[in-house]
Amino acid sequence: MIPSFLKHTSLICQFELKRFFATRKGLLYMITFAFIWYLILFYPIRFSSDFLGQQQNTPEGNSFFQFIGFGSLLNWRIPELGVYWHFSLVIFPLLTVVTSADQTCSDRNRGTLRFVCLRVSRGSLFFGRFSGIMLTQAILILASLLSTVALIAFRDTTLLPVAFNSASAIFLSLVIALLPFTAMMAALSATVQSARQATSWAILIWTFLAWIISIFSAYLPALNSLKLLIPGYQISNLSQLAEWQTLQLAYIPLLQTIILLSIGRWIIHRQSL
Amino acid sequence: MNAPIIKCHNLSHSYSGKTALSNISFTCESGEPIGLVGPNGAGKSTLLNILCGFMRSASGDVTLFGHKPGASALSGRVSALPQDAQLDPAFSIGEQLYFYARLQGLSTQQAKHETSRVLEAVALKDVLKEKPSALSHGMAKRAAIAQALIGKPKLILLDEPTAGLDPVNMRKIRTIITELSLVTTFIISSHDLAELGRLCQQILLLDKGIMSTMQLNASENNKPTRFLTLQMEPCSAPDVQAKFNSIAGISRVSNPQKNEFIIEYNPEIQPSMDLNIITCINDNNWQYRQLSQGKTLEEKLFFDGK
Repeated sequence: MIPSFLKHTSLICQFELKRFFATRKGLLYMITFAFIWYLILFYPIRFSSDFLGQQQNTPEGNSFFQFIGFGSLLNWRIPELGVYWHFSLVIFPLLTVVTSADQTCSDRNRGTLRFVCLRVSRGSLFFGRFSGIMLTQAILILASLLSTVALIAFRDTTLLPVAFNSASAIFLSLVIALLPFTAMMAALSATVQSARQATSWAILIWTFLAWIISIFSAYLPALNSLKLLIPGYQISNLSQLAEWQTLQLAYIPLLQTIILLSIGRWIIHRQSL
Repeated sequence: MNAPIIKCHNLSHSYSGKTALSNISFTCESGEPIGLVGPNGAGKSTLLNILCGFMRSASGDVTLFGHKPGASALSGRVSALPQDAQLDPAFSIGEQLYFYARLQGLSTQQAKHETSRVLEAVALKDVLKEKPSALSHGMAKRAAIAQALIGKPKLILLDEPTAGLDPVNMRKIRTIITELSLVTTFIISSHDLAELGRLCQQILLLDKGIMSTMQLNASENNKPTRFLTLQMEPCSAPDVQAKFNSIAGISRVSNPQKNEFIIEYNPEIQPSMDLNIITCINDNNWQYRQLSQGKTLEEKLFFDGK
């Protein structure tokens, strides 16, 4: 009996997880990831939380953070998670672009996709790989969040219930924020010949597309709304929000994801393998 | 008569204005392996890619077992060895074959068993845990053939299965095809005409995007003249031609290649011409390598009537 679309998608997703957690290349990435987060946890997060804790209740401290653009850090009940939130909004999208750039391109060039497409629809392949990358990102976010929560518990165990609550908000918001980045890389990977090309195109889309839209919207302000289509458009506003408020802008990445996945699926269906 | 497994009607495709396939129509029935031949750039790989669903044709209709290429219903029924396709270097051969078997709907136990079975079929059981980079070219080709055998498909399309292989591995692959052709129909694209001559009864010839078909057995028996192909040890071609031309019943002796002769004769005058030829060779103290009925496949396909 031929498996269903969902079964195929799930099998491909599992294989992608295996690629990440059980291959040499995946393990190398994990070690790098762990080392980066070790540095972030033990230096910026740990020390800035001490500093923020001291400044949180003083008017001078408040004005200083407002002045440097990090006033929203003071809105977090647990400073470590506020700092984590700001770091993760920059680091995770970048890591996502790097890790998800090769969803289909090198396999297509090598001919490996032909072996897969003899057995599954291109839609299953596309969504399976996308889901696999997203699940990997979710696991990494969870691991880094749990280590931050462990750091908080080491400082004060009574903060654990609040920490888990805020960490849940961060987890959900971050996963949603990363969806359009992964979807954009899925669409680019279906188009270009290599992961490097996909990454280059992603950078061009971020910089030049936003710049071009800004120029044209000076003449026709309605065009400014096109910026909504650029993944990460909401991140600067997102960094100003705290805890469950961060989900207020979730509609933007979700909308972007639907559009980008539709484009990617359209491309891969027409692409010669 | 078997039902057609492939139906192509007015299939056309071009790359940047250059015609690769031009209004091709043909049907293939299940049974003996079918050869697909043609010069480089004739459109063989394009045709196989369209049949596998790897690319879309510009126009025309194609069905395999009544379904469009790439349809989910063909999963497990149609398989292929795509030209130059390589397995994923990140995973072992066993892991990948197991994954493909699972995608075809096999349970975990069945997939494990099937992985062992297909690797055994291509004499690669020892490389289950090896990565593709550890395999030689011939082994990698056989591993790719193993993936095509998963789930015992009804139709397997092989694009240049023996290209670049040594004679030992070529024979192994021919043996695999022969053994499985009782239950599986193979379509084999190859430039090795001797190999296709051994394996196939039907040949699809593709040249400049145009297809013609040939039944190897049927073509000669109905004609008023028949042919013998003789390969001699080094000899004087004019002497050989002169002697053969003097034998009653022989109408023409040609020398298309060095030490190779094609003898055209009338079977009504001399039904056992091969015996006369052998006697003539013996009388003249010549040495020969091979005497075979009919023309070689190469002659039939590319030089007949030229």
